[in-house]
Amino acid sequence: MSDKALPAPPHTETEISTHDGDSDLRKLRELLFARETAQLQSLEKRLDNPVVHARDTSEVIAEALLLRAQKDDMLYIALEPLTEKLFKEALRKSPMDFVNALFPLMGPAIRQSVAETFHSMLESFHRTIELVFSWKSLRWRWEAMRTGTSFAEVVLLHTLVYRVDQIFFIHAETGLVLCHVYDEGVVIQDADMVSGMLTAIQNFARDSFAGGPESSLDSLRLGDLTILLERGSTAYLACAARGVVPPEFRERLRNTMAALQIKFSDELDSFSGEVEKFVSARGDLEDLLDVRYVDEDAPLPLWIKLMPVLILLLFIAGGGYFWHDRQQRYLAREAAQAYMEESLAQVGQEPGLLLIEIRQDSSGHWEVIYQKDPLARDPKPLLDAKGIDPKSYTLRVIPYVSYEADMVTQRVKNRITPPESVSMEFDKDGTLRLSGKASMGWILQARQEALALPGVEKVDTSGLADPRIEELKSMIALVEGTVVEFPLGKDIPVSEDVTKLARAMDTLVRIEKLAATMNVAVNLTIYGHADATGNDKRNYEISQERARTIAAMLYARGSSIPIALYGMGSEQSGGKDEVLPDFRESGARQAAARDDQSRRKVEFKVHIVQLPPDNSMLNILH
Amino acid sequence: MNTLDSQNMDANDRRRLVSKKVCMIGAFSVGKSALVERFVRSIFSDRYLSTVGVKISKKNINLNGTDLTMVLWDMEGKDDFADVHMSYLRGAMGFFTVVDGTRKETLNMALHLRNLALETAGDIPHIVLINKSDLPDWEITDERLAELEASGIRVMKTSAKTGHAVEEAFLSLAEAMTKGQ
Ligand SMILES: Nc1nc2c(ncn2[C@@H]2O[C@H](COP(=O)(O)OP(=O)(O)O)[C@@H](O)[C@H]2O)c(=O)[nH]1
Ligand SMILES: [Mg+2]
Repeated sequence: MSDKALPAPPHTETEISTHDGDSDLRKLRELLFARETAQLQSLEKRLDNPVVHARDTSEVIAEALLLRAQKDDMLYIALEPLTEKLFKEALRKSPMDFVNALFPLMGPAIRQSVAETFHSMLESFHRTIELVFSWKSLRWRWEAMRTGTSFAEVVLLHTLVYRVDQIFFIHAETGLVLCHVYDEGVVIQDADMVSGMLTAIQNFARDSFAGGPESSLDSLRLGDLTILLERGSTAYLACAARGVVPPEFRERLRNTMAALQIKFSDELDSFSGEVEKFVSARGDLEDLLDVRYVDEDAPLPLWIKLMPVLILLLFIAGGGYFWHDRQQRYLAREAAQAYMEESLAQVGQEPGLLLIEIRQDSSGHWEVIYQKDPLARDPKPLLDAKGIDPKSYTLRVIPYVSYEADMVTQRVKNRITPPESVSMEFDKDGTLRLSGKASMGWILQARQEALALPGVEKVDTSGLADPRIEELKSMIALVEGTVVEFPLGKDIPVSEDVTKLARAMDTLVRIEKLAATMNVAVNLTIYGHADATGNDKRNYEISQERARTIAAMLYARGSSIPIALYGMGSEQSGGKDEVLPDFRESGARQAAARDDQSRRKVEFKVHIVQLPPDNSMLNILH
Repeated sequence: MNTLDSQNMDANDRRRLVSKKVCMIGAFSVGKSALVERFVRSIFSDRYLSTVGVKISKKNINLNGTDLTMVLWDMEGKDDFADVHMSYLRGAMGFFTVVDGTRKETLNMALHLRNLALETAGDIPHIVLINKSDLPDWEITDERLAELEASGIRVMKTSAKTGHAVEEAFLSLAEAMTKGQ
C-alpha cells in the first residue's frame, strides 16, 4: 500500500548523511533533499501509526508464520498455551457449537463402542442358548415367534432367572471340601471329587497362564453350570449356579467368604483334614443357596427393571443397525446350520443311506459320514440338489448292506428281474410277497434266488399265477366236459360227436405241450361206459373197448400222454362226476327203461402231475 | 455316590470326620492308576473325575472310629515329570511313589520325584510302592530294597493285578497320616 505522495526514485545518499550539524549544509540539504525528508517523515509517521502498522503486518504475517514453522518448533510452543486457553474459553461460551461440530466425528465412534458392547452381550446370550439347547430354548424360540419379538430379547428375559445349586467351601491348598451344601433336588456329584477337580483346574490355570500365583480364576463354566469362585486367603467358595447370577450375588459371596475366613482362621491355618470342625459353616453357606425366577408377581430388582430402558437407550444410540444386522447374521448362520443338519438328515432318510455322524469344526466345516448300500443313491448329488456347497463339507461313505425294505426290494428286483406283470411287496418281517402273473419256471427260480438275498426271510408266491395255468385249466375243463356217445353195441363214436371228440383230442395234445413248458406232466384217464342192455360181462367189455378206441385215436394224433383206461360196464358215473349216489341204485333200472344213448359214452379225466423236485409247486394248480 | 455323600453330611454332626489328600506319583506306566483303581473299587466305586492331567477318585474308610475320606490324586505323568504337575502336590497330606519292579530305571525316577514332593509338600507321610510284584522279571533286588529301608524310606511290594498288599499300603498310609492328630 505505497503512498502516492512518495513516487521518487531513490537516489544515492550515502556520502551526505555524514555532514549533519552544519546550517549551510542544512539549507543545502533542504534544497537538495526536500523530497527525501518528506519521505522520511512519512515513514516515521507510518511506523508510529498502529493502524497502518497492523495493515502492513497483515500483509506478511501468513508468510512469516510459515517461514518460522519451517525453521523450528518455537511457534508451536509459543502458541500452545494460547490456543488451549482460547479453546476452553470458546467451549465455555458456546458448548453446543462444539457438540454440533464434533458430532459427525464422534457419532461413528460412539456407535462403534455401543456395537462392541452389544456384541459381547449377544455373545453371552448365544452361549447361554447353545448351552441350554433344550426344550426350554425351543420354547423360547416359539415364544419369540409368537410374540414377534427377537429371540435374543426373549432369552434375555429368561436368562435373568438364576439358581444357586450348590456351595462348596474348599480348603485352598489341599482342595479338600470343608463343607458342602446343596439345594434340594439338585443332582450332585461327589463333593470331594468335584472340589478336587476344581482345585486341580485352578492349579492348572494358574500354572499354565501368565499371571503368577496372585491371579486366579473368577468363574468356570461346566456345561450349563457356572461355577463362581470366591477366594479367601486360605480357602475359597465355589458356587455352582445356573442362569445369570446378578452382580449383587457376587457381593454376598464375597462377604460370606470374608466372614468364613475370619470365623475359621485358626482351623484353616492349621488344617490337616479335620473337616468336622467346619460343620458350623453350613448355616452361612445355606444362606447363599438362592433361587430367583423372573415372575410377574415377584418384585424385580431395580437393575432388572431398568434393563429394558437401558437397552432401549443403547439401542437408539447404536442406531439400531447393529442389533438388526447382528441378529440377522446370527439367525442366518443358525438357519444355515439348521438347514445343513436337516439336509444331511433328509439325505440320511434315503433308502440305503444312513447318516452315521456329523461334526462341525470351529471353522464351520462339516464332516459327514454316511453308510451306503451299494444300491443306494450317492449322497453327494443329493446334497448338491439341496444346494449344499460341496466345499462346506467332507464326505465319507462306508459301504454296508441295508435291510431297509426299499433296498431289499431293489436288491431282489436286480436279481430276479421280475416281468412287468409281477408286482413286489416287502413286509417289515422280511417276507417278500410276489403277485401277478409269471411263468412257473420264473416263479421257481425267483423264489430260490430271492431267498438267498440279504434281508429276505420268506418268499410268498401265493399271489403269483402263471397265465398258462389258467389256460391249462380251461383246456382241461374243455376236455373233461367232452362226452362222446356211441351207437348201441359199437365202439365207434356216433358221427355227431366226432367233431367234439376231435376237438377234445387236439386240446389234449395242446395240454401236453403246454404242460411240458410248465414243468408238469399230464396223465389221462378215459372212462368207457355201456348201457344197461346185455349182460354185465359184455357191458364191461364194450365199455373198455370204447375207451381203448378213443385212446388209440389219441395216440394216432401224436399224443404221448400216459392213459389209464377204465371200462365201467353199465355203471353210471365216470371217475369225475361222482354225483348223487342215490341215483346209482335206481340208475340201472331207469336206464334200462329208456335205452339211453347217453349212457354209451366215454368220459375224460385229466390229471396234472407235479414233477419233482420242487414240492412247493404242489399247490399251484389248486 | 450321592447317598454316600449325604451320609457324610449327616455324619458331619456326629462322628469324627477327616479328609486327606493323597497323591500318586511315579514314572509313566508303573501302575499308579491301577493301584488306585484296585483300592477304590474294592469297596465302592471305580469312578473318577479326569481333568487337566489328574484323575481324582476317593475312598471312604473307617480307621479306629474315624471316618476318613481319602481323596486320591493320580497324576497322569509322563516320563519327564513337568513342573506344572508339581502344583498338584501342594497341600498333599501323604503320597505314594510308585515303582515298576520290572524296570530298574523307574526307581531312580521315583526317588527323584519323592524328593521333589517332599520339597513341595513338606515332610509328609509317604510310601514307596514297588509294584507289579506278580511279574517274574524282577529287576530290583532285595538288597536294594533293604538299602532303601535302611535310609528310612518305607517300601512295600504290591501288585495291582493280584491286589497283593494294596489295601495294606493304603491303610498304612492312612494310619500314618492320622497319627498324632
Ligand atoms: N502285571 C501287572 N501289571 C500291572 C500292575 N499294575 C499295573 N499294571 C499294568 O501296567 C500298565 C500301566 O498301568 P497304569 O496304572 O496305567 O500306570 P500309570 O501310568 O502309572 O498310571 C497297565 O497295562 C497295567 O495293567 C501289576 O501290579 N501287575
Ligand atoms: Mg495313570
